[in-house]
Amino acid sequence: MNDEIIIEADDLEIVETRQSPAIEIAAKRGKSDPENLNALYLRYLVLPTIFLTVTLLGGLRIAGDDGAFVFFRPALVCLIFAAILLVLFARSGVLMLDGWFSESFTPLKNGANGLTIATLFAAATQIFNSLLPEQGLTFWIVAFCFFWTLWNNLFADFDPRKLFRSLGGLFGLAFVAKYLILANLTAPAGRSWFEALTENPGQEAITRLLDLPRYSGATGYIQFFAVGLFLLGLYFFPSTTKDK
Amino acid sequence: MKEKYIQILGITLILIYAIFVVFLYAAEPRSLEEISSKAIETVQNAATKSQVITGTYEIDQAKFNAGLAAFRQNNFIVARDSFAKADVERRDAKTQYYIAYSFYRQGWGRLTNDDALFKQALESLERVNFIDKNFRSDDADLQLRTPAELKNELEEGLRVTADDFNPLKVLRERK
Repeated sequence: MNDEIIIEADDLEIVETRQSPAIEIAAKRGKSDPENLNALYLRYLVLPTIFLTVTLLGGLRIAGDDGAFVFFRPALVCLIFAAILLVLFARSGVLMLDGWFSESFTPLKNGANGLTIATLFAAATQIFNSLLPEQGLTFWIVAFCFFWTLWNNLFADFDPRKLFRSLGGLFGLAFVAKYLILANLTAPAGRSWFEALTENPGQEAITRLLDLPRYSGATGYIQFFAVGLFLLGLYFFPSTTKDK
Repeated sequence: MKEKYIQILGITLILIYAIFVVFLYAAEPRSLEEISSKAIETVQNAATKSQVITGTYEIDQAKFNAGLAAFRQNNFIVARDSFAKADVERRDAKTQYYIAYSFYRQGWGRLTNDDALFKQALESLERVNFIDKNFRSDDADLQLRTPAELKNELEEGLRVTADDFNPLKVLRERK
């Protein structure tokens, strides 16, 4: 005898079952929708490239007499300012530490995130190197102004937007002071003593009194690009790398 | 592309770019053309340093021979230049001894010695002692075979004594 069980279609019922959380997470991780992919490219490729380019350009000056490259290394105070800036980022929520480093992340992700943060620190150091005058009295005056502003900001209530406005203002003012005002007070390089004294004694005197380095005008353009690039990088910087 | 591949790519990119930036600030090329020559120099230095670390460091024998030939012809400046190029890391006792000896021979004078060159010879001799305390030269052309003998000769030359005013001193020979 052949006992066949026949079930009619009307008797069947569709029952929705939920996948286990582990399978759902695995499916989410595996998906590579364009938005997720773009965020990854931005976080691990674009932002480090931007910040390392700022690191490269921040200390680059062009000599006034022969147009040679001068790679100016950052002073110790630049590293201190960059560290304070990173603390400010953490306080204002621009950079959420638990969103960049977590026990739930893979070591690879923590490592890659750490390197991206390191490039941000290097770029911040070089931005201060770019905006601070190289030596002399002006260096200490501008460094003190930076320190005063950053120190006050440490104790203020900030949100990311306010912080960006404050930083934009700070960097903009420092840029104008160094690359417009001080650069215009600096006497051009490659002139003899006699020429300098007869053609523009005031400029020569200020240059010597304030110990201003004689760089080419191209330096200002390069540093403008570097500051702009740094602010662009900050604008795109995600506060967390955790999946939403 | 999977997340981990992008992260690996990112780490690689950051490391390569960071090395390039550090290289630029360390080498300080003055123009775009100089970047390549500085890069070659840096790679060569790194290769030599790695040879030192792994214990496979050797001097450039051709340059050493050229230096020795110049030394025998009393062309001490050229000799020292060749010796310095042969032993870039200054880790070969024999080469360093020849450098010290070249300072001695160049600085030696029948009436007076050149104190500056003698002092440089002593500095080179210190390096020889640091590298090999028991060094002894096998060159028959050199009358002073050990660093101790050469050091004594140099110190005698630097010291002002009554013997320096002895007219017979002009008859002495360079060693």
